[in-house]
Amino acid sequence: MDIIYLDNNATTRIAPEVYEAMIPFFTDDYFNPSSMYEPARRTGQAVEAARRTIADCLGGTAPGEILFTGCATESNNTAIRGAARANPNRRHIITTTVEHPAVLEVCREMERSGHPVAYVGVDRDGQIDLPGFIRALTPETLLVSIMHANNETGLVFPIERLSRIVKETDPGILFHTDATQTVGKLPIDMVRGLPYVDLLSFSGHKLHAPKGIGALYLRRGTRCRPFLLGGHQESGRRGGTENVPYIVGLGRALGLATETAHEDEARIGRLRDRLERGLVERIPSVEVNGGGGVRLPNTLNISFHYIEGEGMLFQLSEYGICASSGSACTSGSLEPSHVLRAMKVPFTAVHGSVRFSLSRYTTEAEIDRVLEVFPGIVANLRTLSPYWDNARNAPRPDAVGMIESH
Amino acid sequence: MGWEYSEKTKQLFMDAVHGKPGTHLGEIENPDGLGEHGSIACGDAMRFTFRVRRHPSDPTLDVITEARYLTFGCTSAIAASEALCDIIEKGEYTPISALQIQNSDIVTYLEGLPEQKIHCSVMGAEALEAAVFNWAQRRGVDLKALGIDLHDQETEEGRVVCKCFSLTEPYILRKIKELNLRTIPQITSAIKAGGACGSCHHVPGGLQDLLDRVWQGKLPAAAGSAAGSPLPLVSIDAPAPADFSPYQFSKKVEKVVDEYIRPSLKMDGGDVEIVDIKGTMVYCRLKGACANCAGAAQTLKMMVERILKEQVDERIRVIEV
Repeated sequence: MDIIYLDNNATTRIAPEVYEAMIPFFTDDYFNPSSMYEPARRTGQAVEAARRTIADCLGGTAPGEILFTGCATESNNTAIRGAARANPNRRHIITTTVEHPAVLEVCREMERSGHPVAYVGVDRDGQIDLPGFIRALTPETLLVSIMHANNETGLVFPIERLSRIVKETDPGILFHTDATQTVGKLPIDMVRGLPYVDLLSFSGHKLHAPKGIGALYLRRGTRCRPFLLGGHQESGRRGGTENVPYIVGLGRALGLATETAHEDEARIGRLRDRLERGLVERIPSVEVNGGGGVRLPNTLNISFHYIEGEGMLFQLSEYGICASSGSACTSGSLEPSHVLRAMKVPFTAVHGSVRFSLSRYTTEAEIDRVLEVFPGIVANLRTLSPYWDNARNAPRPDAVGMIESH
Repeated sequence: MGWEYSEKTKQLFMDAVHGKPGTHLGEIENPDGLGEHGSIACGDAMRFTFRVRRHPSDPTLDVITEARYLTFGCTSAIAASEALCDIIEKGEYTPISALQIQNSDIVTYLEGLPEQKIHCSVMGAEALEAAVFNWAQRRGVDLKALGIDLHDQETEEGRVVCKCFSLTEPYILRKIKELNLRTIPQITSAIKAGGACGSCHHVPGGLQDLLDRVWQGKLPAAAGSAAGSPLPLVSIDAPAPADFSPYQFSKKVEKVVDEYIRPSLKMDGGDVEIVDIKGTMVYCRLKGACANCAGAAQTLKMMVERILKEQVDERIRVIEV
């Protein structure tokens, strides 16, 4: 059975071009870039070439502002903990309630070690509470960490504006953004677009590079202590022998994404809209989460009321279709998506949410296949649901109130 | 995480969603017993109904002939519902003898369930109990007189321990004993308690205390022994200029905005909203026609800031939001 992969916000397939570019560094050019002999110089040059490519793709920053890490989680840890340790005169941190755990959990840990943290909320459309954000800024504020786009809903925060407000308020406050879901998907320009952002995290495996490689953009002059000590690599800012093949892969992947970004973005956006429209037209009692805001073109988070997400994913997988859900039963814990809950999406809709995330490899035929099978999957589960009236193909009258009552 | 379900669980789920003959989805009209458990907020809920072949003289000898369910929940919740109905229909149970069916029987029938899905089988057993209670009421059977102590939900009202899933102390205590739960993860797997925010794990009167009470007879742990609570947010606002209180200062800013700035913006079909004032920083947003104007930021800086500097305080800075 062919796989229809629509879970690209979780991870992506490695682009063939990326894989090609990496191979020599597993086989012939395996040398440690720190070694003195000539062959090692070539691996060192490959690392620096990748760094330059990435710097170019981020709007022509200085290559020295790019730091390679093991993953976006490491980049986030470095940014938040490193900024706190380098600036001990301030303690207060601001973030949002909808961050990825790679930021949220670090902030909670900072809280336990005596850093007060303000968690700014979002509204029903997932838009940030701007007055609340401004209120949260204090003279004690050390760092603001706000994601660029949300992994679950695809909603894009106005990072350009938020970082400008922060710097106009107090240039001493550092601004970090977790851009894991946007690098390679949206144009990122650290020079003209995001001049007020000091730190920006991302990883390779969301943009068709392999897992196990991440990067941190660290604006020149930003005070930040290393997270991994133990070597002079990355100018002493991240110890550990450079993961040469993966660094080369990340450089190639971001170069590739940037070359085709414009065209991909438009095509993927059309496919996503086709999927969204098709599902909304074919299935009653659905709701697009975050549909009212600016979203990544590849992401659709959609809720099917009165049924539970895991049963949908399970049936989808029988057709070889891969997607994910914010339901409690798929989270590994019993808690449904903290992002949808923060948006006050009703429980009925959170448990019945499905996220489709597309990539440049998604085809129209794949989308049409989903549209063909999905209405049946939903109908199957609604037949079993205590909240659904099959005769009318509508929710039971007593169940309607549940949508808004929680 | 992936699906670690047995083949039996997967098969039952697929049969159920495709409505294969022999499956039990649906609801019996005018049932002899009806029981519900769970809620849509918690992520799974079941409505269970059964019909009996009535004994002409002794209702306790009624035999369950048909069982049906409607379930909102995941793959294993639906498979567990199927399992329960099949066990009951095949076993020629009386409602009272059906009470012997435990969640572990459902797990066995399903050829195992992942640990974190055990609560699905517990839901089945709970819905069955509730249905038997309902049958007893309808048929005038005094369960207590028969030595059966059924805990319908009303009798288990009490202090809510797990707020996320609305589970009370009497209910959790009973389940700890019935299901022989020894650790907090076991409690969470079986009845969900403590599975979401986790704040009831180690607080006084929380899950660990209930476990201690059941298994060791210990007194509740002293307050303050729990993991450290987060520090309160220190909010230090920038000082307002010394000659005004912050309130007077913001009143003055608003007055100047109303008198000098709004009228001219309104002539162009626009307006300005003050979002916040911190110290001498005035956060504002242009509205109406001005909001989409390319020169909005310039307008704010040049005009609003200049006027406020002249009229209120020369240290004022305007920040567009």
